[in-house]
Amino acid sequence: MTQGSHFGSHIPGEDLTLHALQALTAEESAAVQAHVAECELCRAELAAATGDLALVALSAEQQPLPTGARDRFLVRIAEDAKQEEAQPRIAKVIPINRASVGRVSVWAPRVAVAALLIIAAGLSVEIMHLDMRLRRETAVLRSLAEKNAKAQAVVEALTAPSAQRVLLTSIKTPPSPSGRAVYLPSTGALVFQGNNLASLPADKTYELWVIPANGSAPIPAGLFRPDATGNASVVLPDLPKGVPAKAFGVTVEKASGSDTPTAPILLAGAAPAAGE
Amino acid sequence: MERIRSNDQMAMAEVFDRYGGLVYSVALRVLKEPDQAEDVMQDIFFQLWKGTGSYREGRGSLGAWLAVVARNRAIDSLRRKKPTDSVEDVVLPAKTDLASESERNLMIEKVRVVMKGLTPEQQSLVELAFFEGMSHSEIAAKTGDALGTVKTRIRTALMTLRKGVQG
Repeated sequence: MTQGSHFGSHIPGEDLTLHALQALTAEESAAVQAHVAECELCRAELAAATGDLALVALSAEQQPLPTGARDRFLVRIAEDAKQEEAQPRIAKVIPINRASVGRVSVWAPRVAVAALLIIAAGLSVEIMHLDMRLRRETAVLRSLAEKNAKAQAVVEALTAPSAQRVLLTSIKTPPSPSGRAVYLPSTGALVFQGNNLASLPADKTYELWVIPANGSAPIPAGLFRPDATGNASVVLPDLPKGVPAKAFGVTVEKASGSDTPTAPILLAGAAPAAGE
Repeated sequence: MERIRSNDQMAMAEVFDRYGGLVYSVALRVLKEPDQAEDVMQDIFFQLWKGTGSYREGRGSLGAWLAVVARNRAIDSLRRKKPTDSVEDVVLPAKTDLASESERNLMIEKVRVVMKGLTPEQQSLVELAFFEGMSHSEIAAKTGDALGTVKTRIRTALMTLRKGVQG
């Protein structure tokens, strides 16, 4: 290659033509490409030289396509599209260096491709089934783990020495309805059991309240309705952690519950200091 | 091309219908073996479908690009060489829409007339360099001409073709 002989610091036209013809050595081609990437003039000249080659290509006698060539191509892209849809993250096209493979026969590669496509389709179905099974089993494990954690929290709240144990009784006499709350302020774990509670109309519900020791607003601690025997419970309602309670209360609210307790307070109980 | 990028099989079929004959004809002229030529053609269009070719919209005619890639791939296949496409921009010397069948046929006719007007020596050089994929060194060895002379003559033949088509 005779760099600079015709175009000053540019690639000579002859060499650009040879590059377009892929007739240069790998090293020479790399040098041309590096220059062309930076030089607009040579890039335009190379594009024009490649255009000349396109003209030569047009001089080839036009031949009809082999029978079935179009169908073979359409089947190929349809199968490819199907694979893409089935495995959008897995399917990946790997360029095959066909030129380096000896041509054993016309049909052998096509049969091999068809067989690979069938195998790939089978594998993709198998992968889908395994994936679904894995998801199901993961969901079961997650559910078991959640249940286990909840059970442990109940045990901890009931047995912790620092838990506040409060007996709630009716303010009016006779104190037949009652409730018992066990509360662990550090974790916010609360277990409440109510007894002898009167049944309520369908549009009403009982609501449990935690009255914080710091004097802030009562915190709703769960809705509950008694069963036929008047018993009810609230287990581990969603409560903030680290809120020591001054007292607990139970009110009757509308069925959807309330953000603030509605008088009268049916059950109430003052909380002793933690661990008392 | 936008539709092809979004996996529109109908759009790809349209491109195949428009340029399949051209690509196959160029590959067949180089390889002289229909099955090999079809393999080359199928691979080129499949790469276009996958978006793995180097064709960039707005950088020249798709038809011209495909014609040059068909020749290069066929030569690679002839030499049992790994495909090495470096075809990016292709600027035709005449403003021709190769997507239009009538314009393409007119251009083909024009090219043939100009090619026939080249000297036998120029025609032979174009044949050896383009359709047989011989390097200038191989041509120089074959003809006994100096390397520089071969390079200049190939360039001159192609420039003559360009000017003939432009005129």
